Amino acid sequence: MAELKVNREESLVEFAGFKFLLINSEDGLNVDRVQFHNAVIIDGNDRAFIRQIVRRIRSDNQPDIYLKPIFILKGININDPFVNKLVDGTLFSLDQIELIIPEVERILTKTKDLHFTNSLSFEAQMIEKTISFMYTCEIQDLEPIPYIYSSNNYSYPILSVNFRQRDEHIALDILEIAEREGIFDSTYIDRIYLCPSCQGGHLTYREVCPKCGSSNSTTEDIIHHFPCAYVGPLSDFTNEIDDQLDCPKCNKRLRHIGVDYDKPSVLHECKACDHKFQDFNVKAKCLACTTDNLVEQLKGKEIRKYSLTKKGELAAINGFVSTSKDIEEIIGTVKFETFVTMLKYEIERLRQTEGASNICAVHLSNPSQIYSKMGSEVQKVLLKDLVKVIRSNIRSSDIISFQSSSTIILSMNEIPTRIAKRILSEIIDMLKRLIATTFKDIDVEFEYEVIKLDYKLSPQLHIQQLTKAFG
Amino acid sequence: MFEELLDNYLRFLESLTVEHFIRLFWFYIFFEFMRYFLLEFFVLNLWKLSKLWNKKKYAKAKKEFHFEYPLVSIIIPGKNEGKHLYKLVQSLNEQTYKNTEIIVVDDGSDDDTPTIGRDLEKAGRLDVFIRNEVRGGKASGANTALRFTKGKYIVHLDADCSYDRDAIEKIIIPFYLDKDVAGVGGNVMVRNYDESLVTTLQAIEYYDTISIGRVVTSYLGIYRIISGAFGAFRADALEQVKGWDIGPGLDGDITVKLRKLGYKIKFEQEAVCLTSVPNTVKKLTRQRLRWDKSLIRFRVRKHKDVLIPNQAFSFLNFFAFLENITYNLLLNFKWYFYLGDMLINYRSMLVNIIITNVLLYTLTNFFKFVVYSLYRARTNASYTYFLIYIPCMVFYFGYYLRVVRTIAYIQEFFFKQSYKDPWNPSKTSVHAKKMNL
Ligand SMILES: [Zn+2]
Ligand SMILES: [Zn+2]
Ligand SMILES: [Zn+2]
Repeated sequence: MAELKVNREESLVEFAGFKFLLINSEDGLNVDRVQFHNAVIIDGNDRAFIRQIVRRIRSDNQPDIYLKPIFILKGININDPFVNKLVDGTLFSLDQIELIIPEVERILTKTKDLHFTNSLSFEAQMIEKTISFMYTCEIQDLEPIPYIYSSNNYSYPILSVNFRQRDEHIALDILEIAEREGIFDSTYIDRIYLCPSCQGGHLTYREVCPKCGSSNSTTEDIIHHFPCAYVGPLSDFTNEIDDQLDCPKCNKRLRHIGVDYDKPSVLHECKACDHKFQDFNVKAKCLACTTDNLVEQLKGKEIRKYSLTKKGELAAINGFVSTSKDIEEIIGTVKFETFVTMLKYEIERLRQTEGASNICAVHLSNPSQIYSKMGSEVQKVLLKDLVKVIRSNIRSSDIISFQSSSTIILSMNEIPTRIAKRILSEIIDMLKRLIATTFKDIDVEFEYEVIKLDYKLSPQLHIQQLTKAFG
Repeated sequence: MFEELLDNYLRFLESLTVEHFIRLFWFYIFFEFMRYFLLEFFVLNLWKLSKLWNKKKYAKAKKEFHFEYPLVSIIIPGKNEGKHLYKLVQSLNEQTYKNTEIIVVDDGSDDDTPTIGRDLEKAGRLDVFIRNEVRGGKASGANTALRFTKGKYIVHLDADCSYDRDAIEKIIIPFYLDKDVAGVGGNVMVRNYDESLVTTLQAIEYYDTISIGRVVTSYLGIYRIISGAFGAFRADALEQVKGWDIGPGLDGDITVKLRKLGYKIKFEQEAVCLTSVPNTVKKLTRQRLRWDKSLIRFRVRKHKDVLIPNQAFSFLNFFAFLENITYNLLLNFKWYFYLGDMLINYRSMLVNIIITNVLLYTLTNFFKFVVYSLYRARTNASYTYFLIYIPCMVFYFGYYLRVVRTIAYIQEFFFKQSYKDPWNPSKTSVHAKKMNL
């Protein structure tokens, strides 16, 4: 039986060789201390405090901190679905610590599987952070929860915790990118509408005057008196003596709806501008920035449930390097889809004319090693330089694209394959020299491939053949 | 055969003396020639002179109108008119006079009119779109629109018509020429004049009989019908008469009601509107039966009080009324009397009489068409296009329209048929009939 050691002064609890950081509401929190412990136990009754601690740990950028298991002492039910998704369990007293050990052990073991790359972009960093957390906690689905404190009304706690309330909409963009990268599959849950000027989802909907936008109006039934064709609001027909209705035009008494009169429509009258109308406009006022938007102008967004794919799991373990969104921005390249389309045309052309055209690939064999040593800006500079060198050594009619963040593909049309191979090997030499001079302590390994286009094969098959040798 | 006929006719002409001529063609001479040509032509010249005379006054009225710059409410009631709305609104947004509001009432359409109307309203192309789920009829549609207006003047339009760029401006100016004017009728021309023979003949009718006829009656102060396709009213006067009563023929009805209050009604030849007229005989017959029945219904039945001297009596109204009845109702029956007269007394000469009548009418029609062109505001087609059709006018006007009119009068006078007209929903007609409206 292991011994429980509690050191309140040091905020330290030790049991079975695991060190727990005990956080008290009296102590402030320096999250940096978390990395020197195996897990965190929050001891306190103050719900706001608990919420704050959990958010601070989970939104940190260091895996040493944000992946640590968190438990709440005294079994306080914090009733906050957001926080509940971010903690790993509760304890009634420290005597029960034995019960949580397997959970702590499991999470720490899983954490050891992970490799982290210092990725190219903020989006990629967020994706990596999210999927590594999901991996350690064995969470398969990233589920949206309706959450009143979220500016979008739906929150994905694991991801959204990284954003201030007003920026939470960024989480939706990041999930879209991740899905495009094949990290997630998704299923539809709901649709939300966001303010076009601040992306906030806290909107108040009102029926307003179509002329001036005021919501201050009165409504009356319109009566049509058949015998004389008089049409007017109900108030034209009422009298002061009794509840009967009398026609102001022909003085006849209204008897029976459908027989001598009916109510074909309603009349709304704006109290701000006196405009009379039948159909309101519906406007949504943003509570965050006070913009009053026509509902047609609101930004509709789908709220989906995201499930980690096999590729996503691998990316969690090996580190998620970059998103194609970042590399698309590199000057001198075309989008991958564009490349495939151009390739299709070239194959089509070769069917009718004689001649040889080629496609080539340059692959970085050790991307995580390279990227983890660089900041995202430097990574971009590296890719830009690579493209620049390639660009200046091929003809301007040839095009360059990224198949992934580690594979560059390019066309070399209307030259013999033999020459294309020679040019490409010269390019690789130049790239190596460039890296040796500019990025001194980094060891970059290249692989490359050239294939001749065959008009009997599809563009997709060409690209498959071209890159199948790369890992 | 033809030679024999011609020979026979020439001999008839040779033997014709002046007294004989008058005896044989009294109908043409006393009614058609005197009333519809000499008198009309005479008045037309007076009008033209007064127009020249009043040029300064007109310019002043126009200036006053632009200085005041009143809001003009354009109301467009109708059923299933959605398909015309976009074009109409476009032509209204092109108007030289800008201070307008457009109010469309969809009276129980069962097509996509509601969607189109709402779209245009959302896009700000029209100001108010009102939808009545259940049809209430033309009058209630116009009255509904009236509830939503804010303007000093109300212009009533039909959705399937289109308007000259300065039409709204031109139709409002008469209110500034004479403060007693409460209603102004616009000049309606036929847009589809070249669609079929029926529409071509109607185009000539609109130019000569309707447009010129209205210039004349307007000058004499006995102008009767403000066309539903294009009419302007003073909002306060409409308020006084509590809007339109149930139709058909409500266009003529409202002017009588305004006249009874002592207001003047004018025709403005230069405010031009193009309309599509019925393109088959069948459709035309249906339209004219409805129009002609309203004469009985509104003149003879509903507003017969203008003939009775009382405090609201006005000589002009009395005259307008009498003129209308004489030259439409009585004339129509007098023609049959003439026909009987000829049949009984001059049966042997009937063929020659008919030939002479046709020639006389055709000659008059040619003359009128050419000479009246000096008095028209503008036409939407070249005159020469119509010249070859003029000989058909005698049959169109003298025979076809006359027969239709006769049928209408008989149906309405003896059977009150207009109350059964599907043009109005039966729920409203039932009440109108009971009240003898
Ligand atoms: Zn906002
Ligand atoms: Zn308003
Ligand atoms: Zn009534």
